[in-house]
Amino acid sequence: MIPVPAFFSDYQARVDAELRTLVPSEGEPVQRSMAYTLHAPSKRVRPVLTMLSAELCGETPAKALAAAAATELVHAASLILDDLPCMDDAPLRRGLPANHREFGEAVAILAAFGLLNLAFGTISRQYEPALASRLNRLLSEAVGTDGLIGGQALDLLATDQQISFEILERIHRGKTGALFSASATAGALTAGANADVIAALSAFAKNLGLAFQIIDDLLDVEGNPAETGKAVRVDVKKTTFVSFSGVDGARLLARELCQTANGALTPFGRRADRLRELSAFVAGRNV
Amino acid sequence: MTSTGQDRDRNGSHTEADIDELRQRLRSLGYLDAGVDRFVLGSARETRTPSAIALLSSLRIGALGGLLLGPAAVVGLGGRMPGLITSTQDAIVLAVYLISFFAIATSAAAFVACLAVAWMARRMGTEMSNRARRLSVAAGIVVTLICLVYLTLWWQTASAGLGWSAPVRTMLALAVAVGISLLLGHAVTVTALAVIVASSGHSLQVPGVPGSSWGTSLAAGALGFVGAAVLLVATAPAESSQTHTPALTVVPSGVRVRVLAIDGLDPAVFEELRAAKQVPFLSAVFGAASASLNLPITETDRRDPARAWTTIATGQPVERHGVYGLETRRVAGVQGRVPLERTAARVVSAATDLLRLTTPSVASGTERQEKTFWEVASEAGLRTVVVNWWATWPAPTGSGIVISDRATLRLERGGAPDAEIAPADTYERLRQRWPAIKAQAADLATRALGSSIATPELRPLLQRSLELDADQIALASEVAGETTDLVAVYLPGLDIAQHALLSPADGQSASASALSQRLQAIRDYYVALDRLLALTAVASPNEVLFVVTAPGRVAGGGEGRLAARGPIVRDRAVVQGRVTDVSPTILYALGVPASRETAGAPLLGLFSDAFTTRYPVRHVLTYGRPSNRPLERQGQPLDQEMIDRLRSLGYVR
Repeated sequence: MIPVPAFFSDYQARVDAELRTLVPSEGEPVQRSMAYTLHAPSKRVRPVLTMLSAELCGETPAKALAAAAATELVHAASLILDDLPCMDDAPLRRGLPANHREFGEAVAILAAFGLLNLAFGTISRQYEPALASRLNRLLSEAVGTDGLIGGQALDLLATDQQISFEILERIHRGKTGALFSASATAGALTAGANADVIAALSAFAKNLGLAFQIIDDLLDVEGNPAETGKAVRVDVKKTTFVSFSGVDGARLLARELCQTANGALTPFGRRADRLRELSAFVAGRNV
Repeated sequence: MTSTGQDRDRNGSHTEADIDELRQRLRSLGYLDAGVDRFVLGSARETRTPSAIALLSSLRIGALGGLLLGPAAVVGLGGRMPGLITSTQDAIVLAVYLISFFAIATSAAAFVACLAVAWMARRMGTEMSNRARRLSVAAGIVVTLICLVYLTLWWQTASAGLGWSAPVRTMLALAVAVGISLLLGHAVTVTALAVIVASSGHSLQVPGVPGSSWGTSLAAGALGFVGAAVLLVATAPAESSQTHTPALTVVPSGVRVRVLAIDGLDPAVFEELRAAKQVPFLSAVFGAASASLNLPITETDRRDPARAWTTIATGQPVERHGVYGLETRRVAGVQGRVPLERTAARVVSAATDLLRLTTPSVASGTERQEKTFWEVASEAGLRTVVVNWWATWPAPTGSGIVISDRATLRLERGGAPDAEIAPADTYERLRQRWPAIKAQAADLATRALGSSIATPELRPLLQRSLELDADQIALASEVAGETTDLVAVYLPGLDIAQHALLSPADGQSASASALSQRLQAIRDYYVALDRLLALTAVASPNEVLFVVTAPGRVAGGGEGRLAARGPIVRDRAVVQGRVTDVSPTILYALGVPASRETAGAPLLGLFSDAFTTRYPVRHVLTYGRPSNRPLERQGQPLDQEMIDRLRSLGYVR
């Protein structure tokens, strides 16, 4: 296993602090339900990606902090919804009982919407209108039918079904890739990057996102719940990447995807070393 | 794959082939290797309208096309237009032009192709989802094919028909051509697909970018390679023009050859003066102890000395030797020249002159694609001198002594040479001797004109023209020694004097008496030239003197002449010949074998039976093409000075 990059903890701490400001742990049940999933132990890969992208494009991570928090808010909302009995019916998430098991389905659903709503509101409050508009459009597309919602819908339909590799890719692209790409792009947008830079970062995130998902599939097959913080073999009824490539093949392709992701960073030279570390971490993670 | 792959997984076995197939499918979905796609679509990422995607992506495709096709076109153009590229700088400047041109052309083609595909897709309505991939692939294939045909034909030209006689280079070139073509085709496919998807309003689900897998790419590449190879074979010239140049073996004939090239000699005037015994030296050459023949010269050649005298020097028609005219064009920033052999080219050049993209220039040796008789003789190991022949600048080292058509200009101006004279030490020597040479030439001209000519008021003009001829003769005398095998001197004075006195513009406005006076002045010039030649003649028992004449720019007849005098010349022979026969005839006299590629042939009728019996004509397949010999270029080119001088002498407008 590759350890979490040293610089990560600083970024994670800044994201955590921002999220705690946005969603206090105390309050009404729905408020606590939101905080329950949001503040549960997490690697914060997406918000860190946003801040690193902004930094790569010459902006301070602080400028991207609100956008980074928004991506994590969206991600947390998607986790709550994914774990619902009508969806994946997952018992564990981030080392804790799933949100709906702690607060009930109704509160969990409201908490998910609360997090989503907060994500868009945070961006609207923190950035000037033009940038806020672009960021919100970006996030709405990542959440929408070409993103998380579309991916999850396909995933549900695919349960107990044999699906093609292309459909599986669309599921992964929607459920994971869309928000990864949006995270990287959001960071670049806060830095005012041009289209070529955004395209390179988007390509990085696209490849990294799929690698991340493949590793997730692998962890589902051979991971330790104590380390991953979620139940394993829950995807046994689903077609996963491992179904097509086997364990070794999946690991090999995940590594190649990370290498390709690094290739997309070539124009940035040494400035992108932290993103490369992130990619190396994703390729070697077991949590 | 889906079911099979999953079944295999449950059995725990996945082969490398399975993984590779997944790898290829990931590529088709934009993972693992999407650099080109990202580059092409990168600028269009923020836009949603089909036309904007097509436009922005086409600009990127244009950039790719320009960078990949432009440099290749430079090589091709260099092969098609000898003399255009004379240095690395020329190649770079032209590459910039052609990269820009191909970038614009490729952008436009890609834009139109993408919009056309999008339009077709819209017309298909609901069927579009199924046809989107096919349509975009079709657009890519069209672009690939156009590009591949262009690059293959380019190679055909650039390699001068070398083709499969150099298989490694040709295979490498074709492989690169296939790679470039597939790359551009793929870029168009990607863009077309993106445009179709955008046209569909995001309702279209396309399973991935076509043609991204290695299997498909390799199969397409192999197919393209075979197609290109077939095209190369099909378009190969029937006979390779790039044959091996054999070593020339000279059978010494024991004679030295002197060639006097007189421009502007009107046979009618000459015969009149000859009958009046006023030109005894030339009469002796053309008369009793000589042989002569007629050399029909076309009207175009007659009016263009560079064209006509290069034909005489090479023994090849204009289409072969490549010097189409005295006036050429230089592309801005490029030292090389573009010949203007067609009216359309002249119209285009007039337009580009206005835009300062091209500037007028003068024909030079870099345009010449055939060897001259002195170059052949020099390569055969003979000692040669050539003075003032048209299109001899820049003078290459290693081709004997070359005093080019810009030499007197450089000698007058001084400074570091720009290949006006080769070898370089000859220039140093002549520069030091130049005042003395000029004085000698002026003295010779004065003596040749004499004190009593019929047109004393036109004497300055005749003196100036005659001095030009005397300069060349003096320069030749200065550098030629007793061991020199071949001396060739071009004498422009008669043509210049004639043009000054009888050019259509002046002639039409002149009164009858003035015209008569001018005609008399020309007769005076003939007489003076004859005296000049007599004064400078070298009496040598083993010398063959060839006098070659052309009618010049204003003479009425379109006929040139070749006369010979010397120990091996048949007495009173009169034969018919062609202008392309002059070069082979001179080389035959020197004992150099004839080339089967030369349009002309030695005029054996000019030589004595004893000589032709003893020295039968030997042949070689080819003399080869002029090689890129090193040039001594240190100074600034005298381009503008040369144009100004030629303009003052009436050669260019």
